[in-house]
Amino acid sequence: MLQKRLLALVGVVGIIAAACGGSQATPAPASQAPGESAPASVEPTSDLAADQILKTDIQGEPPTLDPSKAQDSNSITVLVALHRPLVYIDKDLKVVPALAESWDISSDAKTLTFHLRDAKYSNGDPIVAGDLVYSWKRLVDPRTAAPYNYVMAEVAGASDLLGVDPKKLPADSAIDAMLDKLGVAAPDDKTFVVTLATPATYFLSVATLWVTVPIQEKWITSANATEAANYVSSGPFNLASWEHNSEIVLKPNPNWYGDVKPTLTEIHMSMSPEPAQAMAAYEAGEIDTFLPVPSEDVERVKNDPNLKDGYSEQPQLSITYYTFNNGNDPTGKKKLDRCAASAKACPTANKNFRIALTEAVDKQAFIDATFSGLGQVANSMVMPGLPGYDESLNPYPFNLDKAKEDMTKALSELGVSSAADLGKLKFGFNSGAGHEPRVAFLAEAWRQAFGLETDQIGTDFSVFLTQRTAGEYDLARDGWGADYPHANNQLNGLFTCGGGNNDDQYCNPDFDKLIADAAVEPDQTKQADLYKQAQKILTDDAGFLPLRFAVTPQLVQPYVKDLISTSLDSQAPGERFWESIKIANH
Amino acid sequence: MITYLARRILWIIPVLFTVSIITFFLMHAVPGGPWDRDKRLPQAVQARLNAQYGLDQPLPVQYVQWAGKFVTGDFGPSYRFQDRRVNDIVADGLGTTVQLGVMAFILAVLVGIPLGVIAALGHNRWPDYLSTAISIIGICTPSFVLAILLIVVFSVQLGWFPTGQWKGPNYWVLPTVALAGFPIAVIARYTRASMLEVTRKDYIRTAQSKGLRDQSVVSRHMIRNALIPVVTILGPTLAFLVTGSFVIERFFSIPGVGQFYLTSISTRDYSLLMAMTMLYAFSVAFLNVVVDILYAYIDPRIRYS
Repeated sequence: MLQKRLLALVGVVGIIAAACGGSQATPAPASQAPGESAPASVEPTSDLAADQILKTDIQGEPPTLDPSKAQDSNSITVLVALHRPLVYIDKDLKVVPALAESWDISSDAKTLTFHLRDAKYSNGDPIVAGDLVYSWKRLVDPRTAAPYNYVMAEVAGASDLLGVDPKKLPADSAIDAMLDKLGVAAPDDKTFVVTLATPATYFLSVATLWVTVPIQEKWITSANATEAANYVSSGPFNLASWEHNSEIVLKPNPNWYGDVKPTLTEIHMSMSPEPAQAMAAYEAGEIDTFLPVPSEDVERVKNDPNLKDGYSEQPQLSITYYTFNNGNDPTGKKKLDRCAASAKACPTANKNFRIALTEAVDKQAFIDATFSGLGQVANSMVMPGLPGYDESLNPYPFNLDKAKEDMTKALSELGVSSAADLGKLKFGFNSGAGHEPRVAFLAEAWRQAFGLETDQIGTDFSVFLTQRTAGEYDLARDGWGADYPHANNQLNGLFTCGGGNNDDQYCNPDFDKLIADAAVEPDQTKQADLYKQAQKILTDDAGFLPLRFAVTPQLVQPYVKDLISTSLDSQAPGERFWESIKIANH
Repeated sequence: MITYLARRILWIIPVLFTVSIITFFLMHAVPGGPWDRDKRLPQAVQARLNAQYGLDQPLPVQYVQWAGKFVTGDFGPSYRFQDRRVNDIVADGLGTTVQLGVMAFILAVLVGIPLGVIAALGHNRWPDYLSTAISIIGICTPSFVLAILLIVVFSVQLGWFPTGQWKGPNYWVLPTVALAGFPIAVIARYTRASMLEVTRKDYIRTAQSKGLRDQSVVSRHMIRNALIPVVTILGPTLAFLVTGSFVIERFFSIPGVGQFYLTSISTRDYSLLMAMTMLYAFSVAFLNVVVDILYAYIDPRIRYS
């Protein structure tokens, strides 16, 4: 009897303990926080410290260090130190030579011939063009299942491999036959030739990505290839140690061929998933650089005499936007069922309705209230600094009177007398990732302007993505960070009919045509103009709700010199140019 | 006793089986999958990954495949950390998590029980109020608040301990204290309530009237009897602590396995989630058996056959 009562007690206590424990732990999906530009740190460094050790933080364990399979920012941050592709970016994001000392582009812009420099891997083996052929084939090989294989879509023969029927994967022999036809070749060890199916002038930007680096077959196919003991790098640094979930240590690669040789003797990368912990570690002197500064600390840091010198804000190639459901099926070939059935059930498919919603949002107030003022108002998709950015695009500025007029038009088109008659619109977001105040801000703006009610549905990240893709929401949170600095990456696939990341269910054939034309336009100015025209269509349609170009606050100790921040940094300040960083006496 | 023990331990098997079935089908019932990202993976890539990991099979088949490997000690590949096996991930972090849990447990017992005893002996006087205040603060303070408070005061302001990581004894102090905060409070409350109940028992009055010294009454008659209900909660408390704390591991950047219990849910890392659930279920079931055996030592009235 006693035992029974005790067991019951055990159960109750267990449940209480579990419930309490659970309530404290809100899993936040790893944020792809953008990176930062360095504070003034390009002055010549005369007095270097004896200890050239940089301690920084990369916000979490890299899921993989296999260049072909990596897709997460914490992996990429490390990979850009360990490998270099044929071409790379400079601090202004211009394409510059890296492994290739030069290249020729044929007159039809379909053949790119890269001339490789003399270079060796960290294990002493020469880097040959054949390793690039292997690496690129491995990337598009369906058996690798590389998340970023689609960047190869323009290479001749790649579309066959990328387009294999997901339900009926071909036999190995068929895949091998397709790989043989892929437009990559190595006529000799120093020459690598890429043949494109269509001229794609943005392809050099693709060739700067971490997935295109040379990979030695004998290395990557060996057991535990990505562990520190076996890792073979081709970049400025080596993987000296990788204590999983704890710390990565990089040391200079003695065989690094680049012109900028690392001054640092070690880079220690800790993995704090909580920015608050990184902030404390920085203040305690345990790390020298990190990002992002938690927004609740920004004001304090800016006013603290010990911290403010290291503080800076770096614009990102990253945008915060919200989706309007434009009513097309994810395939892009027909309307969503509910939208085809009744216009009233699908109000965001109405253009005037979307225009009215856009005009009712004060974007600067949104940024001030929900991002601590960090960010720049966005009215279109392509980010400032990229060819194709158009500041003049702002067809529907904040204007409540105009918004109400447009809403009246929209409501009569939808056949209802007031916004309340539409019922509650479904407004989706992923909970526990800081989006709650932003969703509330927008919902309240629309409620006050039109009496429009929304059902704000916060769910687990994975559930949210599934629903958003399926077009279940009328409105939803969204965002995009550039993979490579080119307008194609910001528009193609995101707003093209049936595009893989088209979360707005948007489809306009005129827009698609301009994007396709721009991809093959060799003249840079004309190309930028085509992207501007395409964005004009998109913004005139009010196809989505752009709100904010991201800015990330970061801290870099003043004794960290020559740190080059770019708008691609995402996990740590200066992550694209680890080799240039130096430590001054302090 | 031996038969009893064997029977109890064998019962763990059907418990684990039931837990695994429920968890397996629940986690697959939730929408989404391990390949969901803000930037969507191409359809063909998702299909290929599903085939590679056997996710294209019917659920019952997947369960049988998983269970078949699990009984041989193979927890499968991680979906999130694609180069690694769940066995390696668990092996890497389990030692750290268990060490932290055991240290927090010892601290909780060493502080919690005396705190409860002192409160009971000073019933309705200041020691009671002080102890109750400490317990209530301990129960009400979420562990992340305690963690940040400790970091700010002892790492940033005073500089006595590192803010995070797990590299040596000085790294262990703050996480242990932060993790022990809640169980200290719970154990103190239980001890106090149980002591107060025992104080009114006849045998205490008898012991006192025999002329035994107070010290002897308290330690030999009161505490020993009062600890029986406390031991009951120690089992699940220990199970809770050694399987790790998501919050503490996250805020102190500790390379343990506790954080995976929640991150594996949000990333739909099915194999890691199953491994973590089974680990937790086993710990609870096993430690309950241990607790039942401890009763026999503490309370001679309990006999198992």
